[in-house]
Amino acid sequence: MNDTIVEARNLFKHYKELNALDNVNLSLTANRIYGLLGRNGAGKTTLMSILTAQAFASSGEALVFGASAYENDSVLSRICFIRESQKYPDDFQPQHAFRSAALFYKNWDQEFADRLAEDFQLPVKRRIKKLSRGQLSAVGVIIGLASRAELTFFDEPYLGLDAVARQLFYDRLVEDYAEYPRTIILSSHLIDEVANLLEHVVVIDRGRIIMDADAEDIRGSAVTVSGSADKVDAFLAGRKILHRETLGSLASVTVDEALDSRERTEAQELGLELSPVSLQQLVVRKTMAGAAATGTGTGDFADDTMEARR
Amino acid sequence: MSRTVAVARMQLINKWTYIGWPLTILAASFLMSLAIFALIPVNEGKYGGGSQAPMWYFLVLGIQSMTLVFPFSQGLSISRRAFYLGTLGLFSLIALGMTGLYLLGGVIERATNGWGVYGFFFSIPWVTDGPWYSTAAFFFVVMMFMFIIGFWFATIFKRWGTTGTLVSTLGTSIALIGLAALTTLLEWWGHVGAWFAQQTPLSISGWAALLCVVLAAGSYTTLRRATP
Repeated sequence: MNDTIVEARNLFKHYKELNALDNVNLSLTANRIYGLLGRNGAGKTTLMSILTAQAFASSGEALVFGASAYENDSVLSRICFIRESQKYPDDFQPQHAFRSAALFYKNWDQEFADRLAEDFQLPVKRRIKKLSRGQLSAVGVIIGLASRAELTFFDEPYLGLDAVARQLFYDRLVEDYAEYPRTIILSSHLIDEVANLLEHVVVIDRGRIIMDADAEDIRGSAVTVSGSADKVDAFLAGRKILHRETLGSLASVTVDEALDSRERTEAQELGLELSPVSLQQLVVRKTMAGAAATGTGTGDFADDTMEARR
Repeated sequence: MSRTVAVARMQLINKWTYIGWPLTILAASFLMSLAIFALIPVNEGKYGGGSQAPMWYFLVLGIQSMTLVFPFSQGLSISRRAFYLGTLGLFSLIALGMTGLYLLGGVIERATNGWGVYGFFFSIPWVTDGPWYSTAAFFFVVMMFMFIIGFWFATIFKRWGTTGTLVSTLGTSIALIGLAALTTLLEWWGHVGAWFAQQTPLSISGWAALLCVVLAAGSYTTLRRATP
């Protein structure tokens, strides 16, 4: 049950002037929903492309179902990875794309695909190149869900989808996953929206894995303490501070540590307020703390060009 | 193997791409040629180049197979090998079918003395003068050549971008010009001319087939490391 199905060892991917992947080590087990989180250009798509042998690592090893996926039909037939910028044959309509997928995935469920197309109000007989961004995303989402591949990647699947369609996707994903357990890797930068779905979270930033933990363990792993600045600082002296905000004499400080019950009581006695940190806040704070530590800034421009290049 | 066949079937899901358009282009070109032949009041053989129209579509088809169908096949986790064999295999069958049509058209054309208007669409001087298998080999090889050359240049574009495409096309041109210059310098044109004069449509097809095999092998090697 808990066998490893994805394993990355010392993966590097160099582009001309940046490391898209910088020594990535990762081990994912079967039948869970993983979140692959990070900023645009952090290396999410690169990592997924290399795992599925759509792209090649500069060095290191990527094993899926115990072997490299490259030209390996027995591995490839169990993987589905429709990328965010997926291209389709020129004359294809969504229905053609679905019939293609049916040829290659033994668990393909056409009825489910039809139902999803209706849910997403997707015109299945319109040429794919005439679809809107949201409808294009829906085609990828439907292939990903209805293929029921043992290892399914969703690459920013919600682009252009409205709030209702996004909720539909999350709902259908959870329902179908409950009925047909499989391993799902959901790459996203809309962290709050997917936080509740995820069982395990992997955060990647500038090609490095900066967080790899169970969602359960992350909840409560950080806390924000607020109150009068000197009391907060005294209380948190020597702790691992992620972020600090002040307003006049008040401070609000996020620490990357859990507080035990004695410390909580102590904080209460000091009149300090404790509040939980959402997954999104935690990821943002950790990413920014990491950027500050290496002194490279947040690298907005480099990241954007990276995304465009691909 | 089954995934290779599935690649071929996938490309036939939309019948227009591999069957509908080539036939439409052939029919349109044929009808237009006939109309023009009929308008020319000359009662002797009139030859047009209209039968080459589908060949240019095959060049585009080769390009699109690589730029659009390959990325899609990657999304469905199809190996590069299965994609290559399935695509090239399917196109070979299409080229065979088209060749059959050209031969049949040629037979009818001769039987009706140019469709009653002395117009020759499928018959091309020199090319179709030999036996039927020589004509068939010629058409088949030309179709394969067009597809493979489109496929290969698109593969180069996929792997090395605009720079790679420019370098390879310019490189090819420079190599050809270089060969011509060398021939001039060594005063070998006489020999070259004599060599060509000796060739038959069948032997030309043989040389072109050899070139196709080299290009096909080159395409596969390039595709092995291409990314969608």
